[in-house]
Amino acid sequence: MEAVRIVWRITRLNFRAQLEYRTEFLLMIAIGAIWQVSVIVFATVLLTRFSGMGGWDSSDVLLIPATRMMAHGLMVLFLGRMHGIGRYIQEGRIDIYLVRPMPVHRQAQLEYFPTNAIGDLTVAGGLMVGALSRSHLDWTAGRVAYLIAALLGGMLLEAALFTTVASASLRFPSADYWSRWVEDLLGTFGNYPLNVLPRAVGGFLTYGLPLAFVAFLPAAVLTGHGHDIGVPYWLAASSPLVGLLLYLAARLLWRWSLGHYTGVNG
Amino acid sequence: MSASSIEVRGLSRTFHTTVRRPGFVGGLRSLVNPKRVPKYAVSDVTFDVAPGELLALLGPNGAGKSTTIKILTGILRPTSGEARVAGVVPYEERERNARNIGAVFGQRTQLWWDLPVRESFAILRDIYEVPKAQHAARLREFDDLLELSTFWDTRVRHLSLGQRVRCDLAAALLHDPPVVFLDEPTIGMDVVVKEQVREFLRHQVEERGRTVLLTTHDMTEVARLAERVVLINHGRLVLDGTLDEIRRTFGSTWQIRATLADAHAEVVPLPGIALVRRDGPQVVFGPDGTEGPTVHQALKQVIERYEVTEVAMDEADLEDVMRAAYVQAGPPAEEA
Repeated sequence: MEAVRIVWRITRLNFRAQLEYRTEFLLMIAIGAIWQVSVIVFATVLLTRFSGMGGWDSSDVLLIPATRMMAHGLMVLFLGRMHGIGRYIQEGRIDIYLVRPMPVHRQAQLEYFPTNAIGDLTVAGGLMVGALSRSHLDWTAGRVAYLIAALLGGMLLEAALFTTVASASLRFPSADYWSRWVEDLLGTFGNYPLNVLPRAVGGFLTYGLPLAFVAFLPAAVLTGHGHDIGVPYWLAASSPLVGLLLYLAARLLWRWSLGHYTGVNG
Repeated sequence: MSASSIEVRGLSRTFHTTVRRPGFVGGLRSLVNPKRVPKYAVSDVTFDVAPGELLALLGPNGAGKSTTIKILTGILRPTSGEARVAGVVPYEERERNARNIGAVFGQRTQLWWDLPVRESFAILRDIYEVPKAQHAARLREFDDLLELSTFWDTRVRHLSLGQRVRCDLAAALLHDPPVVFLDEPTIGMDVVVKEQVREFLRHQVEERGRTVLLTTHDMTEVARLAERVVLINHGRLVLDGTLDEIRRTFGSTWQIRATLADAHAEVVPLPGIALVRRDGPQVVFGPDGTEGPTVHQALKQVIERYEVTEVAMDEADLEDVMRAAYVQAGPPAEEA
C-alpha cells in the first residue's frame, strides 16, 4: 500500500512538473496525437472507400486499430518507459536506480510523466467510440468484459515486447534500436486483419513477433471471425492471457538481465 | 559481528571484451569468430574501513576505483571474493544495502530532473520512510552547512553544477545512512564550493560518525580529508596506509636549499638527512631513507647545525607523490 502511495505521489509531482512547461506539455500531447495520424487516415479511407477487408466488414476492421491504439496508449501511460531505456543505461541512470531501495523497473517508469500518452489515448478513445458506434455486434456484458481484458492483454503484450528489448539493452545498449523496429511493426501491421498478408508473414506476426495477439486475434474473436483466421480458436480467445504470460516472462527476463548488468563502463 | 563498516576480501571483477583484429579481413574474422579477452577491472583487493573513518580510494583513471564502489553499492556483482557494507552483502541484498548507504556519483544526479529540489527530497523521504520531523531537522542541518535554501525551490535542470552536487550530497544523507560512497563528488566545482563540500564531509565524519569512502583525483581534497588512503592501480591494491606512508614509500618528499655563511665549512650528514649536492656555499639536503624527519624537523636540525645566511624549503606536493606512486605501481604482469 505504501508503494502505491509513493508511486501515486511521484506520478502527481511529475505530472505537475510537466504542466508547468505549458508549451512543452501541449506539444507533447499534440505529438502523441499526430504520431497516430496514419491510423486515422487508414480508418477514414477504410470507412469512406471500402466496404471491408479480408472478408471482414469495415466496422469490424475498425475495431482492430481502435483496440491496438487503446492498448498502446495504456502501455505508454503505465509501462512505456522501457522504450528508450538504452538512454538511461548510457547516462548511468540505472546505476542511480540500483542504489535506491525500490525496484529498478518501477523507478524507470516513474522517471517522468508520459504526456504524449494523453494524445495517444485521446485519438484511441475517439477511434474506439467510432468503432463501437458503427459496430453491428450485440455488446453484451461478456463482450465488453472480453474487450477490456483484450485491451489490458494488448497493453501487457506490447509492454512485454519493449521489456524484452530493454532487457537486451542492459547487456548491449545499442539493442535499444530494436525497440524502434518493434514500434514500427506494431504501427504498420497492427491495424488491419493479418489474414490479408501472405501466410508466412502472418505466421511470423503471430508466432514470431506476436503482435497478432494485441488486437487482430481479440477482434476476430469478438466479431465472430475467430474460426477462419488460421489460428486455433482457443489460442485466439486466450489473447489476453497470452499478453499477461508474455509480460510475466519478460519481467523475469528483465530481472535476470539486471542481475547480469555490467554498467556502461564495464 | 564485525568491527568494520566496510569489509572487502579478495574482491575481483573481470569483464570480457572483444578485441578486433587489425585490417578489414581481421574485422570480418572478428565478426565471425570474436576474440574475447578478460579485463581485470578489480583483482584480489582486500581492505577494511572502520566506523566513522574517511578513506580515500585513489588511483589513476581506469584503476578500478569506480568498479569497486559499484560492487560495494550493489550495482555490480564481483567475479570472486566478497564484500560487506554495514554487515550486508550489497550485491545479494541490494535494497537492504541501499537503506544503509548514501551514494553520490559526481557526474550524475539522483534527483528528479524536472522537479524542484525540495520535491525530490520529499520523494526520497517517502522512499526511505523517514519520519517528517526527522526529515525537516536534517534539511535544516544540511541547509546550514550547504546553503541549500537559496535554490532548493529551483528545478534540478536549472541548477549549476555546484548547486546540483550540494543537493545530491544532501539527498544521499537524508535517510541518515551510516556509510557514504562518494565517487568524485567535487569534480568540476569551483574552489569555494569545493571547500564548502569538504567542510560538510568533515562534519559528517567527525560529528555524525559516518563512514565515508571517497574517490577523487583532487589531492588537496585527499590531504584535507583523508585519514587513510587505499591506492589501487590496474585493479590491484598497491598501498593501504596513511598519507605519510605514501609520501615515504614513493620518493623524496622535500628538499632544503641552504646558503652557508662559510663557503668552506665541512658538511656532514645529519640523522635522517642526506646531502643531495653541494656547490660552494650552496647545499641541498633531502631525506635519507624512508623513516626520516619531516621537512620542518629537518629545517630545525640544519639551522641548529650550520650557520646559514639563506634557506628555502620545497615540499613535493601530494600530486607529485601520487604521480610517482602511479608510475612505480606499474602495469600488472599480464599487461606488461
